[in-house]
Amino acid sequence: MEQTRLSFHKEIAKNKRSSYLLIGTVLIVLLALVYSIGFVMGPDYFFIILIAGTIISIIYVTAGYYKSADLAIAASNAKKASGPEYRQYHNIVEGLCLASGLPKPKLYIMHNQQINAFASGRDPQHAVVCVTDGAIEKLTKQELEGVLAHELSHIANYDIRFMTLTAVLVGMIAIISQIFLRTLFWSSMTGRGNSKNNNNTIMMVIGIALAILAPILVALVQLAISRKREYAADSSAVKFMRTPTGLIGALKKIQHNTPMKVSGAVAPLFLAKPTKEKEWFQTHPPLSKRIARLERM
Amino acid sequence: MITWILIGVAIIIVFVFFMYYNRFVRLSHQIDNSLAQISVQLKKRSDLIPNLLSAVKGYMKHEKKVITEVTNARKALVGAEGIEAKMKAGNKLQSALKSIFAIAEGYPDLKANTNFLQLQQELSAIEDKVAYARQYYNDGIMSYNVMTNMVPGKWFASMYGFNKREYLKIAEAEKAVPKIEF
Repeated sequence: MEQTRLSFHKEIAKNKRSSYLLIGTVLIVLLALVYSIGFVMGPDYFFIILIAGTIISIIYVTAGYYKSADLAIAASNAKKASGPEYRQYHNIVEGLCLASGLPKPKLYIMHNQQINAFASGRDPQHAVVCVTDGAIEKLTKQELEGVLAHELSHIANYDIRFMTLTAVLVGMIAIISQIFLRTLFWSSMTGRGNSKNNNNTIMMVIGIALAILAPILVALVQLAISRKREYAADSSAVKFMRTPTGLIGALKKIQHNTPMKVSGAVAPLFLAKPTKEKEWFQTHPPLSKRIARLERM
Repeated sequence: MITWILIGVAIIIVFVFFMYYNRFVRLSHQIDNSLAQISVQLKKRSDLIPNLLSAVKGYMKHEKKVITEVTNARKALVGAEGIEAKMKAGNKLQSALKSIFAIAEGYPDLKANTNFLQLQQELSAIEDKVAYARQYYNDGIMSYNVMTNMVPGKWFASMYGFNKREYLKIAEAEKAVPKIEF
């Protein structure tokens, strides 16, 4: 069967739709968890847990949100890209900003021989883009342009904001589950909890199972959302450049990368993460699949 | 009860009116801004030409014809009024520059000159930027025209007096594939 061409407009819309669907899934899991806790513990307890979980999670993630750009730059040991050798880097980003209507982000360089790049910042006004020395040296101008178009797409699609929202919800679920399980454990140890609800044993088991499984499930959903946003950024990069050639070339070169050492916290931000885990546990789709999609555009 | 529903509906209608007006305004600004960006880049191009000419003059003594061509094209660009004329002059200048860079291939000393290389890189970056700015302009026009042609945007457009806008076209002669002569 002949494969149909992919239109980048449709691809962007499709990937955005599915990431909203996935965030809907996270919300449903949150509701189910909340409902079953309410059933097991009684509504009073449950409200305290919900409120505590929400507050902790929001504080934790807000700090990360406002400092996202600084944190990423500090964690990856990047420095400002200034000097004539980075003139082309600046020129390409300026051109792509004209193509996308974005303000020019701050540009950074990371000393590493691997080809890679990342973007961060809560909105286009506070965005940063960082590439490795390896990318500047080993990629042709068009390939570097493809990589930078992908990174600017993350900024244009507000991916940092979207992933932050996801992180708040996922964090909330994790914290609520923890509090629930610990309270339950503590009350059964002191023998206060099991006096009244013998008939609720089944609900209790379901509640505990959900509290254990929910954080794992939503973490997987979070990874799936991240992969969708990567595809969306690839499509947007094609929208800015009107050709997938550059990005395809860059991704093919990255396939020969050996894994690079970066802090786990910033790893999801990068252009590509060349490790050999199962796709489900990855923040990025496999390079071969990304190349195959791009080649159909 | 019915009064509340009517008030609710009225608020929604007012909101839709505002929303469409703001959308038109935002897109118009986006389009105007990208048009201004094209002019900025063309201005930068014409500003770099004197530097380029002084860099190559010492080397290209026998290439008077090309150099005059570039000088004239720059003059035309500086004097051009309106975006269409500017674009046209800018394209002419770009093709004159291409012949300078082609000739420079035959001068190894010039090709080793860092000043010349920087100017060459800068000018080719400007060419990309002009193309990108034009692409963004045309994207803006597309969304704008889609909105003014579709219902209900069409009604709002005629009500607020927003008219259809034109794409930026490359002049027919310049779109033609250059003839190769031997």
